[in-house]
This record gives sequence, C-alpha cells and structure tokens, in this order.
Amino acid sequence: MNLEDRIFKWFDERFKIKDLLTSVIKHPAPEYAATNPLYCLGGIAFLCFMILVTTGVFLAMYYKPTPLEAYKSVEHIMTVVPMGSLVRSIHHWAANTMIAAVMLHMMRIYFMGAYKKPRELNWVVGVTLLLITTTFGFSGYLLPWDQLAFWATKIGTGIAGSIPVIGEYISLILVGGTDIGAETMTRFFTIHVMILPITIAILLLLHFAMVRIQGISGRL
Amino acid sequence: MSLIEIEKHEIEEERPVRIRGLPFFPHFLLREVVVMCLIAGSLILMASLYPAGLLKPADPFDTPTPIYPEWYFLYVFGFLKFWTWDIGPLPAKVIGVTLPMVLWYGLLFMVPFIDRNPSSDIRKRKVAVALGIIAILGILYFTYFSIVHH
Ligand code: HEM
Repeated sequence: MNLEDRIFKWFDERFKIKDLLTSVIKHPAPEYAATNPLYCLGGIAFLCFMILVTTGVFLAMYYKPTPLEAYKSVEHIMTVVPMGSLVRSIHHWAANTMIAAVMLHMMRIYFMGAYKKPRELNWVVGVTLLLITTTFGFSGYLLPWDQLAFWATKIGTGIAGSIPVIGEYISLILVGGTDIGAETMTRFFTIHVMILPITIAILLLLHFAMVRIQGISGRL
Repeated sequence: MSLIEIEKHEIEEERPVRIRGLPFFPHFLLREVVVMCLIAGSLILMASLYPAGLLKPADPFDTPTPIYPEWYFLYVFGFLKFWTWDIGPLPAKVIGVTLPMVLWYGLLFMVPFIDRNPSSDIRKRKVAVALGIIAILGILYFTYFSIVHH
C-alpha cells in the first residue's frame, strides 16, 4: 500500500470519509444544468462573495472606522500599502459584479419558474439574500468617507427614514444620531463587517441545503 | 465528456425519472473552475484598468453635485422624482418611497404564493412572463429617469 492510500485509510477509519466523498463526487448534476450557462449565475454570485470576504479581511486590517481617520486610512491603502489599490479595487468590482449576478440569477429563477412547488421557501430566502446584498453595498458606500460617501448616505438614510411607520426606527438605528457622524460610521462598519456577513452565511447555508435537498429544477 | 445515466426521484414526481447527468466530480467541477477563473480574471482586469475611486474628504457643509447613489438604488431615486401626486391623505413623497421599496420587496417575497400556476413551461406562463418583463422595463425606466432628471 502506498503512502496516499495509507493516509486515506487512516482518515477513513476515523471519519468514514469514503461514504461522504462518494456521495459528493458521484452526486449527479443534470445535463441541462451543466450545459446551460444561466445556471452559473448563482455560483458566480457565491464566488464574488468569497472574493469579497477575502479582500475585505485585508482591507479591515488597515481601515479605521472614524470620521477623522477613515479617509486617510483609505488613502493610505490606495497609495502606500503594497497591492492595496488592487485589493480595494477588486473588492469594489466584486461587489458590483455580485449584485449584477444576483439580479440575473433571480431573473433566471423567475422566468424558468424555478420558484414553484417545492421551492417556494428557497425563493423567499433568495429575496432576503438580495436585500442583504444591496444592504452590503449601501453600508460599504459610506466607509471611505469621501464627499460621495457622505452625501449619498445622507440622502439614502433620509429616504429610508421617510418610509411610513418603520422609517423613523430604521433611520435611528442606522444613523445613531441627528446627522451622519462618528456614530453612523461605527454602526455602518459593524453592519458591513459583522452583522451582514454572519446573516448572509447562515442564509447561504439554508439556500444551498435547499437546492441540495430539492434538486435543481428543470425540464424532465 | 462522459455522461452517466442515473435514476433520480424528483420530489414532486411519483415515479422515478431517468435523466442524463454529469458526475459532480470531476466533470461538473471542472466546468465550474473554468468559469471561476474567467470571472476572477475579469475582476482583476477591471480592478487594474478602473481602480476604485476616492473623491475629496467628506465635508458636511459643502453639498457636491451631482450625488449619485450606487447604480442599483437609482431606480428608487428615479421613482421618487417621478411620482409627484398625492393620493388622498398620502403625500406624494411617502408614496414615492413606499412603492419602490416596501411594496416592491413585498411583491417579490410573495411571488411563489401569488403565481399559483403549476406549469414551468414558459409558453404556458404568459401572464407571469409579461409581468416580469414589465417589472424589468419599469426598473430600467426609473433608473434612466433618475439619471436624466438630475
Ligand atoms: C447571495 C445571493 C445568492 C447566491 C450566492 C445564490 C446561489 C445559488 C446557487 C449556487 C444555486 C444553484 C443553481 C444556480 O446557480 O442557478 C441557487 C439556486 C436557487 N436560487 Fe439562489 N442565490 C442567491 C440569491 C438568490 C435570489 C435573490 C433568489 C430569488 C429571489 C434565489 C432563488 C433561488 C432558487 C429558487 C434556487 C433553486 C433553483 C432551481 O432549483 O433551479 N437565489 N442559488
């Protein structure tokens, strides 16, 4: 027995990975899904998400979420930090691509009628994912603390604040005071790097589990 | 490309149906990896050609023009500018923010429960397809509206 087999055997005896691996490896992807590029869109959104997590972690190492330092720290990332400009720009492009992919993915589901029984709840989880993805964009927009960031957020929170009944609370939670300032910044930062990533991870797990349990829809 | 024949029980089907499928590994995964490389490559290319911007530092006392939100929120801005009519006690502005956000997302959530037509054949879903196209055209129109009426 060669080394590879022995390592495999060592793990298999302890974790029964053989059954697990075969069920993953042999799990068939229907031909219509494997050959139609429209079925790639969900995966592309997920790839973008993974890229966003990776680049985001690096950005978070240099970024400082206070009105006094935020702009300078982003400038520092863009000009001094090695590859900083590339990492921030990839984060920027992956974010926009993710939103586009999620929207197109949703259109595929809609026009193919893939939300019908038994997949109704996966559609509901999906719409929540769309909401979360756009909120990611909204909360990230403020962080560089440049003119556009500040004023777009001011108008955006203003609009959200004028929704009847709930608007007042949304704006209170988001802005954390009377005007966009230090309070808003730490809130947006927490939402962007803690609350939303955890929520989206849980929902993605649900989303993928449902796809796995229910199978990919398609013509039979 | 090697195909395997498999028996698969679709949840909604009583009888097992035979469908042609590719094993997840290596065939399906290989295709995924190719797509991933293409996407990752284009992201790096776009990031190098068009780096993320950074304007002047935020100044709460100097309103710049124009102010654009992210492109995927433009339709909300557009609708808000477009809708100038009060309905009864409801001021235009309240309708302008409620319709494109609360009502729109509410409708989206309800799609599987509104559309009770069991067919997923696009030719038998004329109403749903028409409504979908109207919704997309509407979003595009209001996005356009927000850009020209700045
Ligand atoms: C973060 C965003 C999302 C990710 C990463 C994601 C990922 C995926 C993936 C990988 C699949 C497998 C099939 C495919 O790729 O086409 C899938 C299926 C599905 N997605 Fe999403 N999705 C997201 C958002 C959404 C949204 C916004 C909706 C709809 C409102 C949605 C509804 C569905 C449904 C119903 C299925 C099952 C489709 C079928 O069985 O054919 N997803 N999703």
